[in-house]
Amino acid sequence: MTISGQKVVIVPCSGIGKTYGSVSRQAAYIVVEDLRPEDTQLAALSLLVMGDEASRAMLAENPAITIDGCKLACATKMVQESGGTVAQAFAVLDVYRRYKQFKPQGIAELNEGGEQLAHVLAEEIVGIVDHISIDSDVKDHHKGCENG
Amino acid sequence: MPEFLEFTIDKFTFRVATDRWYDAAGVWAMPEGKNVRIGVSDFMQQRSGDVAFAEVKPAGTRLEYDDDAVVIETIKVDITLGSPVNGTIVEVNPALETSPEVTNQDPYGEGWLAVVEASDWETDRAHLLDPQAYFEKIKKQAEEETR
Repeated sequence: MTISGQKVVIVPCSGIGKTYGSVSRQAAYIVVEDLRPEDTQLAALSLLVMGDEASRAMLAENPAITIDGCKLACATKMVQESGGTVAQAFAVLDVYRRYKQFKPQGIAELNEGGEQLAHVLAEEIVGIVDHISIDSDVKDHHKGCENG
Repeated sequence: MPEFLEFTIDKFTFRVATDRWYDAAGVWAMPEGKNVRIGVSDFMQQRSGDVAFAEVKPAGTRLEYDDDAVVIETIKVDITLGSPVNGTIVEVNPALETSPEVTNQDPYGEGWLAVVEASDWETDRAHLLDPQAYFEKIKKQAEEETR
């Protein structure tokens, strides 16, 4: 967590029954539950679509990283429409093109390739989370110095 | 005839370029002198989803009609496409290597797949559908699928 208490909001695709949507959610869980639980929090795209006030407030106060399962980019668009700031938008397909060996298959349960793709995607997201956290800490530190 | 025939179903609009021929699977063939440029139709690319990879047999490959020529992997499905013509591949679209999404973005233009030196285009053409026939076929198919 940054000094100011911000947590990066991770917003994955809500495409149920879609392999790439499953990869996006799996990557989000890996980041939020395993890799950076102190620095990140999960937001459900479905709640944003419904205009959930708590989710909108979360986005108003914290930067977001979106993970889209297809070119419709619902996660990214919905965060923007909800007044949030997208610090980085990921697309599962773009990551897969870089890791062709991890072919995702399956829906309710991803195959090994899908799991591995989710892991490499999660690692890329963590890189951005850490960058955001460092930036925030530096800004907070400067503010602290200015305030004596 | 207009440049494109098109119809809309639900939120989807499908276009058929009128300057080429089509096989039943949705591969188009457009003669260019002794060569034939091939690609996929707008209907096919929209139904198949975002392209992850498109692999065409290399230049120099000899193809008979309907021989496996292209494998396209999308977010929904893997598709193997047969050649709409007899001949030899003389060029593969280099953009497919780095930007396979061009197949979705511009299926009748920059998203072409290969150029084949056709050995008997007039005979090949007899296997293919003209734009109007292909248009009627996919329109009927789309309407049946949305019932």
